[in-house]
Order: sequence, then C-alpha cells, then structure tokens
Amino acid sequence: MAISDDQIQEVVLQAMRATNQARDAASQLVVSTDAPIFGPDSSLDSLGLVGLLLDVEEGLQAIGCDVVLSDERAVSQKRSPFRNVPSLVAYVSTLSRE
Amino acid sequence: MGPRHVLITGTSRGIGEALAEHYLAAGDHVVGCGRSPSSLTHERYTHCALDVTDAGAVDRLFKDLKQQFKTLDVLINNAGVASMNAVALTPVEVARRVMETNFIAAFNFTRESIRMMRKSPAARIVNISTVAVPLRLEGEAVYAASKSALETFTRIAAKEVAPFGITCNAVGPCPIRTKLTAGVPDKKIQTIIDAQAVRRWAVTGDVVNVIDFFLRPESAMVTGQVVYLGGVG
Repeated sequence: MAISDDQIQEVVLQAMRATNQARDAASQLVVSTDAPIFGPDSSLDSLGLVGLLLDVEEGLQAIGCDVVLSDERAVSQKRSPFRNVPSLVAYVSTLSRE
Repeated sequence: MGPRHVLITGTSRGIGEALAEHYLAAGDHVVGCGRSPSSLTHERYTHCALDVTDAGAVDRLFKDLKQQFKTLDVLINNAGVASMNAVALTPVEVARRVMETNFIAAFNFTRESIRMMRKSPAARIVNISTVAVPLRLEGEAVYAASKSALETFTRIAAKEVAPFGITCNAVGPCPIRTKLTAGVPDKKIQTIIDAQAVRRWAVTGDVVNVIDFFLRPESAMVTGQVVYLGGVG
C-alpha cells in the first residue's frame, strides 16, 4: 500500500508527541516538521530513540505500512536517517516503496 | 492485576509444559509453542506448532498475537536443545542448530515481544539458562556457550528494556528429570549434582518458584539477574 510523505510525517510527529508524554518538562522534544530527532541538537538518547522508532513502526503499521526502521542500512549510513523529521520521513518513504 | 498474557516457548514437554500448566492454573492466558503438538487442552491455552528457529513462522505467530491480544505481559524463552559432545567431535551443523535454538530464537522472540509489552503494566521476560554455564563442564562446550550468550543477552537487554517498564532475567536450573537430561550419562549428572550446594535433582516446581518471583509486580527492581538453582555459581 502506497502512503504519502504527509501521512508518514504525521505518524512521526504523533510518535514524538507520545514520546514527550513520558518525558519531563525540561527535556521535551520540539514537535515540528523540521525538528531534530537524534543528535547534538536533540535531548533524545539512544534508548529514547528506540522507543520513538517503535512508536513510528506501530503508527505506520496502523495505516498499512509494514517496515522495519532500524536495519543495517540505517545504522551504516554516514548521515543518520534519524537525525531530524525530514530525514526520517524520507527514509520511511524509501523503505515503503521497496 | 487481572489475567496476564503469557507466551512460553517449548511447551510440548518438560519445564515448558509445567510452566504452561502453572500459569493456566493461576488464571492466565497462555500461548505456547513447540515443534510437536501439545497434549495440553484448556480454554485459555493456545498452542502453535512451529520451529522457534523459523523466523517466518515466528513473525506469523506475533502477527496473530497482535490481533488476539493488545498486550503481552510475560515471555518465557524456554525452548532449548542440548548437545553433549567433545568439541573435536561436534559437527558444525550441530553447533549452529544449538546456537539457533538456544540463543537466536530467544533473541527473536524477545525482539518481537518488546513491541507488544510496552503497554503492559508489569512486563517480564524470563530466559532459561543452565548451571552448565558456571560449572564449565567438559563435553558441554557448545550447549554452555549458547546459554552463556543468552545470559549476556539477558543482562544487556535488561538495560535496554528498562525504560519500557520491562524486566529481563534468567534462571539456571540444575538437573531436572526431563527429556533433555534423559540422554545425559548418569556419571555426568552426578558430577553436576556433586558441585551443587543442595545435592539433589531439582524439580520443575523449583524453576516455577524463581520465575514466579521474577513475575511478581513487586519485582520491578529485579532485572538483569541470573539465578542458579542448587547453590551453583
């Protein structure tokens, strides 16, 4: 099933909102279409990223897109696809077309 | 807390079958799996005949589970095979099969379960190890190495799943009269029992007791631990 980048973006933003519910006020993620996710500009640690990616996978499954986000390719890329919202949306979009 | 959803691998016989019976008696919903059919019949028991090393079959099992249950509360990685042989005489295919069953399959079930456990109020992963790990008995190198991998996996996975409210522990039984130990020479069994502080065979109830402790809601601070029966280690 083909899904649009707008649908993917909404799943990612919803996962970030869900992540924020479990985080204290001082470490809230910025939820916006160009926000950082993982890296020097974000307070999300590696275990927090895992939770976020699991939420994104679940959200995608709910709209009929079954992808595994954290495979070898994601880890081996020079620039992490998880660094911000646009890069994650682009990565999911690529996976969903395979 | 109401009835839990419990997934146990290797329920066709032995410790797995005893665990399934125990948690059914406790009122839980139990999903079991194994290569053989199960003789267990209960309205809250579902048996899935599969090879735990078949990733495709495991994937289908979890897809079914997600449709049946919103959450999974307990995973017990019990399925295991033993290989008692000298390193020099063990075919590589046997070593691979032991690692696939005792470690890779447990990893795969854990990986899939984490996704379903995040919504559980007291999710628990329990792996079945063995006293063969600390005893380092000759003739059990491959079997003990596979369980040693499982123990290290338990300790590190515990750190990774803690943010989701999931604990991950292991229990290492000493010899119990099951099909797995039936093929072990008496002399070898006696060597193990002689190394125990409590010098007798264990029973499945001894394993159940430790797992019950791990599963208690009050055990939320107990994670990354390996408990050996019989005072070994």
